[in-house]
Amino acid sequence: MADPSENRIEIDKDAVRRDLMKLVLTIVELLRQLMERQAIRRVENSELTEQQEEDLGTALMLLSDAMDELTEQFGLTPADLNLDLGPLGPLLPRDR
Amino acid sequence: MITYLYAVGRDLERVPDVGSGGIAGGALRLVDEAGLQAVVSDVDREAFEDLEAHREDLAWLAEVARAHHGVVEAVGREHAVAPLALATVYLDDDRVRAVLRESRAEFAAVLDRVDGRDEWGVKAYVRPAAARSAAAGRPSSGAAYLRARREALREGDAAIAAAEREADAVDAAVAALAVEARRHPPQDRSLTGRSEQMVLNGAYLVERSATDELRRLVEELARDGSVDLELTGPWVPYSFAGRAS
Repeated sequence: MADPSENRIEIDKDAVRRDLMKLVLTIVELLRQLMERQAIRRVENSELTEQQEEDLGTALMLLSDAMDELTEQFGLTPADLNLDLGPLGPLLPRDR
Repeated sequence: MITYLYAVGRDLERVPDVGSGGIAGGALRLVDEAGLQAVVSDVDREAFEDLEAHREDLAWLAEVARAHHGVVEAVGREHAVAPLALATVYLDDDRVRAVLRESRAEFAAVLDRVDGRDEWGVKAYVRPAAARSAAAGRPSSGAAYLRARREALREGDAAIAAAEREADAVDAAVAALAVEARRHPPQDRSLTGRSEQMVLNGAYLVERSATDELRRLVEELARDGSVDLELTGPWVPYSFAGRAS
C-alpha cells in the first residue's frame, strides 16, 4: 500500500500566513485611502468643524503609520498591497 | 503541413540567412509570384489550426514570436520588408501565390512606404518628482496631515497632466521629422517594468538618412524637457505595415 502521506500537499505555513496578511492589509489600505480621500473632500467643502478635522486627520495619520509598520514587519512593500484587477487596472492607485 | 507566411519582399533572390531556420526549425522557402517573394516555411497543421488552445501557452507563443521576428529581421536587414501578422498561415503554397496576386498592389504600397526607412520608438515617462513633498517631515497635527495629503494628491495629478502635455509636444516634434507617426496606447507598468507612468508610446517611420538627426532631436528634447525619454530602434516597421493604411 502506498504511503498516504505521499499524496499530502505540503503547506508552507509561513507563506500562507504572509499571503493572508497581505490580503488583509490590502483591504485595510483600500479602506484607509477611501477614508482619506473622503476626509479631504469634506475639508474642501468645509463640512467639518476644526475639532473634527483635527481628530479625523490624527486618526488617519496614526492609521497610516500603523500600516507602514505592519507592511514592513511582514516584509511587504506598498506595491505588494495592490491587486491587479486585469482590465479594471490596479485596485489602488499606484502612488499613494 | 501548412504554409506559414512570415514576410513579403521584392527582389529577394535567396532565402534569408537565419541560423535556426523558421518556426520549429522548419526550412525557409521563397514563394515567387507577381514580382513579389513570400518567405514561408512548413508548420504543423494541428498546432496552428487550433490557435485558441495555444492562447494561454506562453512558452509556445514566445517560441513562435521569436522565430517569426528572427526571419522578418533577417529579411529586413537587406531589403524593404512587409512583415505579416504573427501566425499567418495558408493551406498550401498555391494559396500564398493567390494572396500575392490578389493583394499585389497593397503589398507594393507597403514596400514603397517602408523602403529605406526604419521604425523607431519613442517612449516618455513621468519623471519621479524629487521626493514629492515627502521630505516635509512629520505633520505637527491632524489638520496639517490632511493638508499635506491633499497637496500631495494634487501635485501628483498636476505632474501627470503636465507630463501628458509635454508628451504631446515630443510626439509632434518627432512626427515632424518622421515620414509617418503612430501613437500606441501607453503600456502598463507590469509591461514596462518601470515604476514611472508611461505617457507616450510613439512609433515613427524615419528615413534612414535622418537617423542622426532623430537621435539629436530626442537627446535635445530629453535634455530640455521634464519627462524621461527612451529612444528604441531601428525596428522592422511593424507599426507601418498595415495593408489598409
